[in-house]
Order: sequence, then structure tokens, then C-alpha cells
Amino acid sequence: MTDQQLVEQRAARRTFLSQAGLGLGATAIGALSAQQCGADSEISHYRGLPGLPHFAARAKRVIFLCMAGGPSHLETFDYKPELDRLDGEPMPKSFTKGQPIAQLQGQELRCLGPVNRFKRYGQSGQLISDYLPWTARVADDLCIIRSMVTDQINHDPAHTFMNTGTTLSGRPSMGSWVNYGLGSATENLPGFVVMTSVGGRNPQPIASRQWSAGFLPSRFQGVEFHASGDPVHYVSSPSGVSERGQRQLIDTVAGLNMHRNQILQDPEVDARLAAYEMAFRMQSSVPELVDISDESQEILDMYGGKPGDGSFASNCLLARRLVERGVRFIHLYHRGWDHHGELDKYMNICCELTDKPTWALLTDLKQRGLLEDTLVIWGGEFGRTPMFQGKGDAGRDHHIKGFSMWMAGGGIKPGITYGETDDLGYNAVTDVVQIRDLHATMLHLLGINHAQLAVPFQGLDNRLTGVLPSQVITPILA
Amino acid sequence: MNTFVPVTIVRCVSVAVLLVLPMTLDGGETNLDQQVDFNRDVRPLLSNKCFFCHGLDAKQREGGLRLDDRDSAFGKGESGETTIVAGHSDASELMRRLLATDPDEQMPPSDSDKSLSPQQIDMLRRWIDQGAHWQKHWAYQEPVNPTLPTVRNPTWCKNWVDRFILAKLEAKGPAPSSPADRVTLIRRLYFDLIGLPPTPEQVTDFVSDSCSQAYERVVDQLLASPHFGERMAMYWLDLVRYADTVGYHGDQDQSISPYRDYVIDAFNDNMPLDQFTHEQLAGDLIATREADQIDASRATDLKIASGYNRILQTSHEGGVQKKEYLAIYAADRIRNLSGVWMGSSLGCCQCHEHKFDPFTARDFYTMAAFFADIDEDRTFSGPSTIPTKREPEMLVFSPSDQKELVDLQTKIEVLRQQDSESQMLAGLEQQKSRIEQRARRTMITVAVEPRTIRILPRGNWLDETGEIVEPAIPEFFGKLETGPRRADRLDLARWLTDTKTGTGLLTARVFANRFWYQLFGTGIAKQLDDFGIQGSLPSHAQLLDALAIHLVKSNWNTKQMMKLLVMSQTYQQSSLTSAERYAADPENRLFARQSRYRLPAELIRDNALSISGLLVEDVGGTSARPYQPAGYYRHLNFPERTYTADTDDRQWRRGVYVHWQRQFLHPMLQAFDAPSREECTADRSRSNTPLAALVLLNDPTFLEAARVLAERMIQEGGDTIESQINFAFQRAVSRVADAEELSLLKNLLLQSKDLYRVDPSAAEALIQIGQQPAKENIEPIELAAWSIVARAILNMHETITRN
Repeated sequence: MTDQQLVEQRAARRTFLSQAGLGLGATAIGALSAQQCGADSEISHYRGLPGLPHFAARAKRVIFLCMAGGPSHLETFDYKPELDRLDGEPMPKSFTKGQPIAQLQGQELRCLGPVNRFKRYGQSGQLISDYLPWTARVADDLCIIRSMVTDQINHDPAHTFMNTGTTLSGRPSMGSWVNYGLGSATENLPGFVVMTSVGGRNPQPIASRQWSAGFLPSRFQGVEFHASGDPVHYVSSPSGVSERGQRQLIDTVAGLNMHRNQILQDPEVDARLAAYEMAFRMQSSVPELVDISDESQEILDMYGGKPGDGSFASNCLLARRLVERGVRFIHLYHRGWDHHGELDKYMNICCELTDKPTWALLTDLKQRGLLEDTLVIWGGEFGRTPMFQGKGDAGRDHHIKGFSMWMAGGGIKPGITYGETDDLGYNAVTDVVQIRDLHATMLHLLGINHAQLAVPFQGLDNRLTGVLPSQVITPILA
Repeated sequence: MNTFVPVTIVRCVSVAVLLVLPMTLDGGETNLDQQVDFNRDVRPLLSNKCFFCHGLDAKQREGGLRLDDRDSAFGKGESGETTIVAGHSDASELMRRLLATDPDEQMPPSDSDKSLSPQQIDMLRRWIDQGAHWQKHWAYQEPVNPTLPTVRNPTWCKNWVDRFILAKLEAKGPAPSSPADRVTLIRRLYFDLIGLPPTPEQVTDFVSDSCSQAYERVVDQLLASPHFGERMAMYWLDLVRYADTVGYHGDQDQSISPYRDYVIDAFNDNMPLDQFTHEQLAGDLIATREADQIDASRATDLKIASGYNRILQTSHEGGVQKKEYLAIYAADRIRNLSGVWMGSSLGCCQCHEHKFDPFTARDFYTMAAFFADIDEDRTFSGPSTIPTKREPEMLVFSPSDQKELVDLQTKIEVLRQQDSESQMLAGLEQQKSRIEQRARRTMITVAVEPRTIRILPRGNWLDETGEIVEPAIPEFFGKLETGPRRADRLDLARWLTDTKTGTGLLTARVFANRFWYQLFGTGIAKQLDDFGIQGSLPSHAQLLDALAIHLVKSNWNTKQMMKLLVMSQTYQQSSLTSAERYAADPENRLFARQSRYRLPAELIRDNALSISGLLVEDVGGTSARPYQPAGYYRHLNFPERTYTADTDDRQWRRGVYVHWQRQFLHPMLQAFDAPSREECTADRSRSNTPLAALVLLNDPTFLEAARVLAERMIQEGGDTIESQINFAFQRAVSRVADAEELSLLKNLLLQSKDLYRVDPSAAEALIQIGQQPAKENIEPIELAAWSIVARAILNMHETITRN
């Protein structure tokens, strides 16, 4: 079904509801609040495109842990002894000739060996660096992909590419696609929630376009939750207005709208009533969500954040709470991984901030039985060069020809490593995974055939996976 | 049993009408015995199902066959068989392959994700048997002046526009709607032409004016209003993706607001649209070429206009590769130029031949070569300051400053020639620098030696094997005649608007369609920036042609076009409709009624400010910063950003002036679907979300407006609660409240007073919101309770709806 048909179908349904509402409202309109009217929940609660999921889903939702700035694969999941051996030597030209290079343009290229050690962990014996002792504890839950490639070497477009499958602006991000396809499992919260945290080197900006709905209806856009101030913009009643006062206001507006609509017969009025009702529900559901006073001390200790501190730890805990409340796509960004210099120092800082909370999230989801239908994805917008960059102490530049990510949970084969880069960690050489393959796999786990989730826009059937061939990475499916 | 049969049939028919009607309008299925129309029925099908392998793109082409090209389609493929034999479907290879069951023969191939329904195959069969009549795609055919359709009810028609609409309605559609009531009419005109609500006095004057010219008089007044330019600019700025920040990476502020003023002034001055086009694309070249014929202020305007070429997204992120970004900028410009002026998606050809339309990758790069002379080397250096610099920029002075500056300069030069070191000179220098400091900067286009433009294979900027190309229009349209001289942006701009040597009439059709959209909520051709083959056909192709020709003949006269459209009976119809009529044409493709829709974001703001009386109506100037949630810019860096809301009158300026931060658009604008302006937006969505409800309920801008409105209700609204409510009602919806509405609002007033009596501090808190001090002579509980009533009125559906 096309977007247009969807819109038409909804319009027709609204018309019907409008008439139903009229019949009801004509007798006792003043006394009715829209909440009691019954029509609104059906409209506000969009349950996805007909025919979706295309097949049985292995995951119902996604948590995407974006390590913004681009963590080094060579210091996390991709150990390269040969690079260690060549430390300080010139980078072989065969690797770099004609390749796109970011800040190291025109500079002498030398190898930088891994700045820390790796060990094998778990029954699976996955190789993980010493920077990630907590992630190492859940090694047996992870599917590490060492053969990611992307097209974009600068942060902003690389995020856009990761999120939308293209660098053109105005395209929907994956969270929007997923909500458009599958609809929402909550009536009280948005289906696509974004949270950010900061800490590390040179936090790169992150644009709200990264959670834009693009050409899809804007109800599918990501909603950012904030750690300070209103968790969602304008979600608090104004100072001097109590919940009761707000309720009275909304009921009056609903009454005025329904009354007037006897003359105007505008089908849009039903949607407006529903939007106000959900707005009102959000005014209590959002504060309830971010109020973690009902969490046990044990849980708080696991994650390690403090309420309202805006840390990655707090965001991970909120992510779990969002999962429990039916939010379909939760996207966390941690800004601080742009390690052009002082790699060791900043890896310590970033991992200190993110490693344990990541473990806590996986462990907590697992102990609640939620990991089996929640897909968790970890990674940055790109990786980092095997070559030395020296802004301050040793660091690494942006790198797009090979880097690592991991997936865990719903439908993913746990405890495996997939794909390889070459001896120096430069090019992904075995089982190369394009971003569109990652998208196809994610959609597949959600029960969506990526080729069939398409919306015509500017003369083209647009898909998250674009027009180039993409494939579900079947070897990593459980 | 027989008695039940008709009932069943009737039911089926009504369902069928519901489902089928919108589809036929879009050129889908048609009745079995109907004449098949190539443009409506055949080409969209071939385009969707076949062009990917049998289209313009030689690299993808299979079997040497093109179905987008008449000669190829009627010729022999590599197999030696004739693809289409006009009049003989049984002899046409096309039909044989469509009907084949052998997987090796079957078309579309069984392993593709495409297939044709039996009805579609039958439609192709009938088209071939009916003679396989081939037409050029409508958007590439020059508009031809149509004969005026005859109608049965000519008295309905107020001008020729109506004849086209009515003829179609009489032939196949519902009857037109009755005229809108006069209150609705004047509100519609005000919102459409100046974007502000009429005052109660303006409404009363119009409603009570029985003169037959009354409507036209209002139209003329509004077209002459300085707010007309603001209203028109809102849309143009969406198209050309105007914003106050650079867009990529650090999203620093850029200096460009004088360009916005230029656009507003151009619409207010009714600048012919061809001139408007030339000045934006090539104002700098005109200024150089006509240097000895124009004065300084005209030269300044031309340079400001050329800022169009500079408002694309740019980056000075550390590590950007200049060549990569120059390629990105070239593509951005082509996407915008082709969307705004050509109504086509030439941007697709950055990487490959267009899959559907007659554009090649070569066309893309020859078009990009027109812009290769733009000086933009210095954009890569930043700095990371607020604002950043995107040289070349220039200083723009207000008219009075400009004059003073010239005077000062003369005096300074005189003193200098006298070799004077006097205090007077120092004083004058100081005065001059003060003026320069308060001047605005703006990005301009400066032409330099053109860069080499190569065709980039698959758009890959690292690949330098592609052919070097010179500026040229898409080959499909022919050639620009510039002799040995390299064609430049001015040639391109003139080609876009010249009706004899260029595509002026096609451009006029794109523009005319958008004027229609601005006044009817939907275009005659639905896709406002893509008239390409994948789009749908215009609902009234002949009308669109006639409007395009009219636009050109009127010397590209915007105001005349807007007047023609609003004077039509079609425009003046009511938007009220029954559920049946609505369901039969939910998208209003037949225009048997006016459209109704929520006001665009900027107007939601303007409307609330205007109703409350807070609105500052100054035209032009720097961008305004309304209240915004703290910390909203915390993800921005290089440098880190703190937003400071305006504390002066600019707080209440119109939405068109609000600071447009591409990466973090003001949450109010965003919630009401204003685009980020990263790309051309020709058609804004109109959503209805909880986030928008939260804005209207809780954003301080609207709370302040409600409280100020409440003050006026109390002080200017007369002695009774009813008259006080009606004071606001008339401002908000141009009518008085009925008994039910009064009762609901009175009830809210009483409830609110009860709440605030129990908690007077809450009343104090509410009325302190906003920088406008609360009136001290009103009792806080009273004011707070009335503020809640005002909030209800500002939140009404009717208040934010254009009917």
C-alpha cells in the first residue's frame, strides 16, 4: 500500500468516525470529553501498514547504541597483531593509494599499533579489548561484525548515511521507517525515542535530521527526550497550571471543537482531538517514565547513573523502561568518540562512561526476558584508521573501509564473530557488510522484507535500503 | 429473492465509486471500453514496469530496446521482432512477451519484483489495437492556448478559470459547492494573501459592504499590503531552502538575511518572475554587465539576489575534502534549480542516466558547469564562530545609513585631500565605522575563473577519468546559442524564462501550478517540484496551460495571477462538504470545493500574536529569536551554542523572520511541519501530532499571547462575560460565540477561578510568563482565569484552520 493510499484510507476512516462522533455528540456534546468519545484511540493508535509484518518477527523493537564520533575498531573488537608489528613504520601505499582520507590528507602515513591488549572472553572466546571489561562479560551474547563499510568519511553525512541509507537530506531515518511499517505498541509515548549523552574527545554535533521522518508523515519522526528541563519539549504544563486545570482546558477545547464540527464537518477534527488526548497522556506518561524512583538500588547500581544526569548510563536505564512501555525504536547517541589524538586517554573516558551501562542494559533486558525480542545494535558512524594521527598524543583519523559493530538479542546468533578486515585492519575483506545490509538484516528481524517497504517519492520507490543490491546477513541469524 | 438484488447492486456501486474514482483521476485503471490515453494510461505503466531495463540508461538497457523512445518501441529489438505494431497487438512482440509463461520469455522477468495485472496487459493490448497513439510527455510539450470549454451553466463562472473547472464537473463530477459565506471568504483572503487574520472591523466592513466591488476591493488592498511579500516569501524561502545556518556539521549561523528582504521586496514590488529568476541566478553577472547603466543601490540589490547561489548547505568540518564537497554543492544546486524552476528531478543524474525522464548524467554535469564560476574556495575555512564567514560576503546598509555613509565618505575624502589630521576627521571616521558595525553582512555570488567540471562516473568524486564538460542545457532541450563564448549563469537564467529560445513556457507552468497550490491547497499537477514521467497527470491540463500562457503574457505578473485566481468562483466556493462528496474526492482533485487545512507553522504564530495584539508588523530586517526551550542547542558544537531569546520587540515578529536553524529548527516551527530547509520543499506536509498540541498548549509564546489577549478581554471587552468572550472570539475566528460555546467557556472560567482561588500563587506564576509585563491593575486570579479561557480560544481547531 502506498503512502497515498494509506492517507486516503485514513481519511476515509476519519470521515466515518466523524459521522459516528456527530451522532453521539449531538445529544450531549458539552458533557463529553474526547477521551470518552472512543473514537480517538483508534486514530491515534496507528498499528502499521496492512500486511506487515511480512513474516514472523524475531524482534519487536530495536535499541541502537550509536557511539557518535566513530570508535576505533582496532582498540575494541578487531585485534591486528600485524599492525602492532608495523607500529611506527610507513603505512604500505598499496592500502592507501587513491583512497579517501579525512584529516590526514597530504600527510605522511604511518602505522599505529593497537594501543591496548585484547583477550578472549566467554565460552565463545570472542576477542575483546581491555577497554571493554564489562562488555567482555556478555561476550557470549554478542555477534561482533568486523567487516562493516560505509560510504561517508565525515561525521555529519556518515550519520545521515547510517540512519537513512543515503546522504541526501529529507529522507526518513530507520526509526521512522520501522514505526511507519509496524506502527506503535504504545498509546502514551512516541514510537521512536532519541536520547543523547556526551563525554570524551571533541563531541561532534548531532543534527535532529538524524531522527527526521523525511518524506514520511511527521508523526513518525523521532522525539528527543532531554535529561534536563522538560523531558520532551513543552510536555510540562505551564507554571501555574495544574494537571486538573490542563484537563479542564483540553476538555473545553474538545467540546468547542466537537460542537463546531457539527457545522464544519471537518474530518481533521477527530485527529486533532486524538492528538490533544495523546498530548495530555504524554504529560503524565513521560514524567512517569523518567521518574526512576521505583527502580531497586541493585538496578541503579548496575547502570550506575544518577537520575537526571543525562549520562549514557541513565539513558540505558530509560531505554529499558521505554522497551517495557512498548516503544518501537530507541536510539541512543553518545558523543565523544572522535579520537584524532590522545586515543588512550579518550578511550578510557568513553569506555568508562559507556561500557558498564551497555553491559547493564543487556543483562537487565536478559533477566527480564526482553532481550529475546529486542534487537540491540552497537557501533559508530565509521571506524578509525590503522594510521597514526597526532593531535596531542597518538590518535586515529576517520576510516570507512572496514570497522566493527555488534548486534545482540532478538533473532541474532549469539557468541559469534562475523567478517574480517585485512592484516592491518584497513579494508573489510571477508563477508563485507554494507550499511544497507545492516538495514536489511534489522528489518528482516522485525519481520519486514526490506524490498517491500517502499514509498514513492520524487519519482522513485524509496526504501531504507535504497536501490543498490542489499542482503540480509543470514549467517548471523539465530 | 429478486427484490434483494438491486440493494446489493447499489451497495457495490457505491463502494466501487469510493474506491475507483480517485484512482482514475491519477491515471490508473480505466473502463474497459474507454479509449486508452497514452500519457494517462500507458506511459506511467511502461515507466513503472519497464523503463528500468528498457529506458534511457544505456548501461541498464536490455535487448537494445527502449520503451521510452517511440522509434525504438516501434522498431525491431535485438531479437529481430517488432516490439509494437500499431493496430495489431497479435503481431506485437511486446504482447507476446507480456503473455509468455516460459520464464525465459516472460516480461517483466519473473525474478524482478515487477509484474503486470491482467487488466494492465489488456489495457496495453487495447492501446495497440486502437492504433498505439504515442504522445510526448505532457510536461515537455509547450503549453498551447486551449479553446475555452463550453459549460451548461456559464453564469456560475466569474472568469475563464472557472470554465475549465466547471466543464469537468459538469462532465463527470459533483456539482460545484455553493459560495463561501462572507466571513469565511475574507478570512481565506487574509490568510492566503497576507498571512494574517482580519480584524473584527475589517470583517464587519466587508460583510456589511453590499457593493458588488467589495470583494475585489479587499483583494486589491491585500495585494498592495507590505505583508503580501512576507506571505509569498514564506513559500519561496521553502523552495530555495533559505536558512540562517550553514546546515552541515557545526551548523553555524551564516549571514544572509538581506536576501530574505530582497525576496519580500520583490514580491511587494511585483517584480516580474523572469527578472526575479535572472537576478537570483545571475545578479552578480547582470551587475557587472550593466555596471555603467545602474546605480549603486540597484547593484547592491543584484548582488544580494545572487545570494541564492550561496544558501545551500555548506561545511567547514575539519577533514572535509574540498573536491568531495564541491561535488556535493554542485549536486545540491542542480537538485534545487531543477526542482524549483524546471519541475524535474535532474538530481538523479548525478550518478546515472535518469531512469524515467529524458536526462542523462552528462546533462547533470553540463548543468553543474554553469555554476563552476562561483567563488567558494573560502567557504572551507570557516571560522567556527557565530556567525561564521562564508566569503565572499558584503555589507548591506539600511537606506538611511547608506545615504549617511556616502555623505560621510565625501566629507572624509575632502578633509583627507586637505591633508587634515583634525579631530573632525577622526570623528567622521568613527561615525563611519559605527555605521559599518551595524550593517548587515550577506553572502553574495562572485564569479571567478570557472573550475574544471568533469563527468563523475557514478557520481564518484575520486574518479577523474570522466570527460571534461562545458556549460550546456540538457541535450533533450537542444542547445544554447552563445557562439564561441562560454555559456554562463545568465544564459541559463534567460533560457529558463525565454519563451522563444528557452523553456519559459514550461517554467511558467511550474510556477502557475504553485500559485494554484498556494490558493487551493493542492496543485493542478500534484507533484509541485517534479512534473516528470513518474508523477501523475495534471487534473486540468488545459487550465494549467492557459494559466502558464497567461502568466507569460502578463509579463510574469505575480499579483495579476494571484488576483485572477482569487477572483474566480472556484476559489470562492465553500470548503464545507458532505462525507460522501469528501470520500469521492478526498484530495480535491476536481476542485468542486475549496480546501481546508491547518495554517502553516509561521501563520500559527502570526495568528496568535495578531489576535492578542502583540504582533510587531515591521517588514524586513535581521532574524528574530522567540522563546525556546533551554538547552535545545546543546548538541551543537564548533562553537558550543547558547540560545538567547530576543528581549526587545523582535520577540513578537512574524514567523517568516524566525531564526532558521537547519539542524535544530525551532520546536514550534518543527512541530507544525516547517521544513528544515536542507532541500527544496515544494509541498509541506500538514500533520496533526501530539507534539504540535503540546506547543499550542504550553509554549510560552502562546501562553503570553493568551494572557495579553485576556487582559484585553477584561479591559476592552465590555461589561459582561459574554461580551468579553466575544471580544476574543471575534479576533480569533471572526464571529461571535453561540450559546453552547459561551456556556463551555464560561464554565471553564468558573472552574479556573475556583482553582486559582485555592492557589493564588499559581495565578501569579501563570501571568508572569513572557516578557510583556502583566497589567498590574487586573487582579491576578481574574487575569489567570481569563488567560485559561484565552488559551482555549487560541487552541480551537477553527482558530488555526484556513477554511
